[in-house]
Amino acid sequence: MVNQHMPLAMVSPGETVTVVDVRAGRGLQRRLADMGLVPGTTLKVINGHAPGPIIIDLRGSRLVLGHGMAQKIMVKV
Amino acid sequence: MAREITIALAGNPNSGKSTVFNNLTGARQHVGNWPGVTVEKKEGRYHYHGYRVKVVDLPGVYSLTAYSLDEVVARNFIVEGKPEVVVDIVDASNLERNLYLTVQLIELETNLVIALNMFDLAKSRGYQIDVSRLSELLGAPLVPMVATRKEGNEELLREIVNVFEGNTTKKKIKLFYGSELEEHLTELEALISRDEELSHQFPPRWLAIKLLEQDEEVLQKLGVSNE
Repeated sequence: MVNQHMPLAMVSPGETVTVVDVRAGRGLQRRLADMGLVPGTTLKVINGHAPGPIIIDLRGSRLVLGHGMAQKIMVKV
Repeated sequence: MAREITIALAGNPNSGKSTVFNNLTGARQHVGNWPGVTVEKKEGRYHYHGYRVKVVDLPGVYSLTAYSLDEVVARNFIVEGKPEVVVDIVDASNLERNLYLTVQLIELETNLVIALNMFDLAKSRGYQIDVSRLSELLGAPLVPMVATRKEGNEELLREIVNVFEGNTTKKKIKLFYGSELEEHLTELEALISRDEELSHQFPPRWLAIKLLEQDEEVLQKLGVSNE
């Protein structure tokens, strides 16, 4: 079960995952934290296909993330 | 003689801020821009029991960091415009995320009234909110509302005046950031408090937090370099 982490961009719609790491710069990291996306949060991917943006369900609200951002968010199933 | 009050409406995007704004001011609105930036500024007025209230609708933000222009505008108005009362419109069905902004408004030592909007939606989702306990914890009056049906409007108007007149006991809430950070915060806070001009301009603890965060706007204003 080691190395089960993957970028959020690779999660298929319908799956629920937990954030383990946000590998972004200070600005984006804080921005995402402001909206409640921090390590330990559970979220569900609603829609989206690479290389387009993805829609996620985060703490009861919907958020759209660009593909690049989703690449920087590491999650586990 | 009518007494003038300036209030600001703050809240997350989609928390019903504009609906509350429209309920309060009706058609007496004016739309312009915040000076120097292309962020819409909405202002309105209403009269209530001999008070003339000017309402400033702040941009919807998740936080008061310096991430976007909207956030800077909202923050500057609160820090520099010093509105007498800040109404924080909170989506009651999404408390966890919304209260993050509330905490920042508390740290800015604003005179807060918290509007718990979409109270019906929160109920239908099965949430039970202990309003008086939450109000106690946040140190500000809480008004459950359903802005789309104008429920809670009267109570909100009343609480705004109550807070303005100092009829509600404003409790100073201090969030504890862990002993490691607190040590530095206390140190910075003490330094800031000694500077009369600075501590008049900003709440010292808030400024200490922003300095530790290395908030760009704040650093720039104080003329501190990032290195």
